[in-house]
Amino acid sequence: MTGRALKGGIFKALLLFSLFVGFLMLVVLLVDVFKDGLPYLDLALLTNPPSSDPEIAGARPAILATLYIGILLLLFVVPIGVFTAIYLEEYANKTRWYNKLLEINIQNLAAVPSIVYGILGLAFLVRGIGLGRVLLAGAMILTLLVLPTVIIASREAIRSVPDSIRQGAYALGATQWQVVSRQVLPAAIPGIATGSILALSRAIGETAPLIMIGAVTYISFDPTILGPFTALPIQIYSFLRLPQEEFKLLAAASIIVLLAILLTLNAFAIFIRNRYRRSW
Amino acid sequence: MNRTQTGLDAVHLDPVRATDFVPREPVFQLRDLSVSYSGNVAIRDVTLDVYEKAVTAFIGPSGCGKSTLIRCFDRMNDLVPGAKVDGDVLYHGEDLYAPGVDPVEVRRRIGMVFQKPNPFPKSIYDNVAFGPRVLGLKGTMDLRVEQALQQAALWDEVKDRLKESALGLSGGQQQRLCIARCLAVEPDVILMDEPASALDPISTTRIEDLMHELKRDYTIVIVTHNMQQAARVADMTAFFSVEVAPDGKRTGVLVEYDRTAKIFTTPADQRTEDYVTGRFG
Amino acid sequence: MRISFQEELDELEGSLHMEGELVLRSLRGAVEAVCGQDLELADEVIAFDDDVDAQYFQVEQGIELLLARQTPVASDLRLVLAILKDNLHLERMGDLCVTIAKLTKLTKGLPPDETLLEGFREMGERAEQMIRVALRSLEQRDRVAAESLLELDELIDRANRRIVNRLLEIGHEVEQREWGLRMILVSRCLERIGDHAVDIGEQTAYLVTGEFREFTDASH
Repeated sequence: MTGRALKGGIFKALLLFSLFVGFLMLVVLLVDVFKDGLPYLDLALLTNPPSSDPEIAGARPAILATLYIGILLLLFVVPIGVFTAIYLEEYANKTRWYNKLLEINIQNLAAVPSIVYGILGLAFLVRGIGLGRVLLAGAMILTLLVLPTVIIASREAIRSVPDSIRQGAYALGATQWQVVSRQVLPAAIPGIATGSILALSRAIGETAPLIMIGAVTYISFDPTILGPFTALPIQIYSFLRLPQEEFKLLAAASIIVLLAILLTLNAFAIFIRNRYRRSW
Repeated sequence: MNRTQTGLDAVHLDPVRATDFVPREPVFQLRDLSVSYSGNVAIRDVTLDVYEKAVTAFIGPSGCGKSTLIRCFDRMNDLVPGAKVDGDVLYHGEDLYAPGVDPVEVRRRIGMVFQKPNPFPKSIYDNVAFGPRVLGLKGTMDLRVEQALQQAALWDEVKDRLKESALGLSGGQQQRLCIARCLAVEPDVILMDEPASALDPISTTRIEDLMHELKRDYTIVIVTHNMQQAARVADMTAFFSVEVAPDGKRTGVLVEYDRTAKIFTTPADQRTEDYVTGRFG
Repeated sequence: MRISFQEELDELEGSLHMEGELVLRSLRGAVEAVCGQDLELADEVIAFDDDVDAQYFQVEQGIELLLARQTPVASDLRLVLAILKDNLHLERMGDLCVTIAKLTKLTKGLPPDETLLEGFREMGERAEQMIRVALRSLEQRDRVAAESLLELDELIDRANRRIVNRLLEIGHEVEQREWGLRMILVSRCLERIGDHAVDIGEQTAYLVTGEFREFTDASH
């Protein structure tokens, strides 16, 4: 082999090796979890509340709470995020200082560690306005956490709508609001949906902020919006802290449930993205 | 200043021959119009009249501001931050840039077709219906859509697939769809900014034939960098050129505006002659 | 496709044929004037040439505009170029008719020769026929018909020679000689009209085949 071909070959080998390493680690994790958890994955896990008896213990309140949080999250984050994105992309005069400031802040907020949001929630929501350690507070704080992501994703989706579409709509006599609501938004929905779902799946996996605002580790009744709550990641953690060996396996099973939820959401996001992808 | 350069006097200078184009009422009257973007003057001191139910072409090398100029007619320059319009644009005698004038109403009467066909990512029907819907026009939508597509010479090709996506049409069909979209709101004037430059020759010819039909009912202004196209379709032609200032700044100016026949047989200005003969670009 | 271009082209060709009709009228008038010694008719023919010229000018302008605005190519271009040259030929024919009329006026009072006048009538008919054939062959893009003009021209040439011979016979009296000299020119004009018709036929052949070929090499 010539020198050049050899270098190319080595480079290719390195690439494959890196890919392999990452892939291998993921496979090892999954195999480990499935090996332990699969036998314990049954209906009881999903429908029963936790108990000290591993035979009948389930994760039902946690699963329900995770679902409620997810729904509330979407209801909060999508309108706020999309409208902010619309303002920034369609209405704001980008040369003005306050808009530039807004831009920088959003970029920064996306990088803030999640535990800081937890502290924020504790100070302002739980104590400040006296909401207490409730599910609603959890949903709100997770909203803030993923809001920058949704804004950024929505802005990208809105930006990807070609300007020629707007020009065409304006030229026909549409007002700015008509252009946005009838052309830009409908065309940006796939991107917005994808971004929102990915934000949701990130939020579902977050533990630190929820712990900070007071999610409990043990709750045996179904959660309500304005009541105490737990979430699936926290439930997994609390299973692991119990002494019995079976609980560790139950934790593995719960991890499978969590993974299943996350993978479903992500698959759905990918499906939407591919199905509605536009070639401009 | 040479009197043949303004639209006011040019058409009265030449003896009227049997084949000459006879201009009717002016629809647009531009007086000392200048447009600048963030302080840079793109085109200056344009004075000319655009006549009704005729095709008027703006030709000239790139950078001479002809696209900028045509966008003054429907106030599309409003959408560009930093754009400033000085001088007068009168539409049927009324100042288009007067304080109380609603740009939305202006754009309803003065439609625009762009260089690259830009159909909306919707069905063919919804594309044509978009304008009437946003403007709240009364009347049966189906009829409106059909009439617009007929006028744009597209009806026969799409009548069986109105609900299909507009993006599935060919380039030439898409451009005719954009024209139909424009016609659906019953404009007075149709502006076309290089309408055929992105199309193949056959589609181009169809668009030119269409212009010939449409000018019976609409006033048409087109910008084109293809001067043979201007020669073929336009009744009046305005030639613009670029002036380079000592500091390098480029500004567009109107050089000559006259009947197309005159511009392409005996142009008055040497610059026009150089441009149409292809000696300078 | 290119509807307006096609319309302009058809209009231009129509104008040319109109000019042809005018020339035919002029020719008939000129021959009548000469054969009938009709001086009033001769004046009419001379005045009528203004109409022919106006039509010529209109066709000229039409060609100029068509070339400038429509950039015709291929057979369209050949058609326009053929019309350009045919226009000139027709206009020259008109001028030749005027010359005949003027010569008629100049021979006022001079004694005519019946045989000669018969000859002119015949040449006039031939010339008329040739113009018609030429124009029809153009209209129908008929190369064969265009080439047949050569034979017809032969007939005119023979008639011309017969007239020249006749003139040599009768040229005894001074007045007759003067009349004869003028009439040679008339004969020459009619013969030239025939040549122009042949040229129009050549243009038609060029239009159809794309090649320009003179119908005959020898000068006649």
